[in-house]
Amino acid sequence: MRQDLRDALSKTWPELGRAGVWWTGSQRVKMVREVRKARTCALCGARKVALSPHTLAGRHDTATDLPEAAIEAIHRIVTDPGRLSEAWYRRTIDSSLTDAAYVELVSVVAITTAVDTFDRGCGQSMRELPAARPGEPRRRRPVGAKPGLGWMPMLAPEDVTADDPPLYASAGRIGGNVHRALSLVPEAMMQFWDLFETMYLPQHAMRDFGQEYRAIDHAQIEMLAARVAVRNQCVY
Amino acid sequence: MALLRGSGKHNGIDYHFEGIVDGSGGSGVAHERELLAFADAAIDPSQMAAEQGAALAACAGREAMRDAAAVIAGFDAITRVADATGIPLEAPKAEASVEWRDRLGIDEFWRMKV
Repeated sequence: MRQDLRDALSKTWPELGRAGVWWTGSQRVKMVREVRKARTCALCGARKVALSPHTLAGRHDTATDLPEAAIEAIHRIVTDPGRLSEAWYRRTIDSSLTDAAYVELVSVVAITTAVDTFDRGCGQSMRELPAARPGEPRRRRPVGAKPGLGWMPMLAPEDVTADDPPLYASAGRIGGNVHRALSLVPEAMMQFWDLFETMYLPQHAMRDFGQEYRAIDHAQIEMLAARVAVRNQCVY
Repeated sequence: MALLRGSGKHNGIDYHFEGIVDGSGGSGVAHERELLAFADAAIDPSQMAAEQGAALAACAGREAMRDAAAVIAGFDAITRVADATGIPLEAPKAEASVEWRDRLGIDEFWRMKV
């Protein structure tokens, strides 16, 4: 395995057990467990094949005591991401989650998905849960975050202040919409993107078609990306 | 798809998207059959992808298999980030892709959101 990929996985996975910005380390590890439980949840399985997921009431098969809104968010993002809507998001966070806590939850779901899918692809069993570390969430919201782009406020590159982590500048990220998606929690955004760019390609390499950076070429990489996006019913 | 188009333009190859969307192949990308089968298996939590991974490794090498697994894993995650945050396509990307999004049925995904 490439050393940079090995290093990124070794760094990112234990970080899930450390306190984040809005959740404790223990809660973040519970999210990892809940992501894995969602994949076999009977309610999610029934909803996935229903014409509308809202036509089926019931309770999720859970693995943790996370708040009900967090359970619902995790299970839907894991099992039926292509049919998520703003109306669902508003209902979900109105019940007890803040927008920023939701964004950090999305990042934990995404990182767990990335690591588990990679291990499955490599024929390895799921790695052990990260160890929960003590510590309190930092609870800092970027002052420049503004509503209007997605479902929650986001931090544009021009609104980053000296108090914010260098979420765009650190890796030459241009601030496209997909970069901004998790920007309400800059630390979560950087944690996800540092792993993602190691799995896919660094920013400068994405359109550098004259040079290959991986053991598969640009066309093979983009075909895989397209196939996974289609299977997950993702327009972006 | 846009970056695959860009890659094709650079290499003077007209890749066909239809077979990537429906899984039937014919895109013109090297080792397409093994790569698509591997992607479909790796993102399905109900199965292991060992057989498909071995088939890909046999024709493209173990490092290619691992790099493919990494790309698949990254996109299995980032699609969830995009879908769970409601980010729109940037206007230039939306404009540039309007014809093939409609032709390939990708715009149907918007209508599935409930």
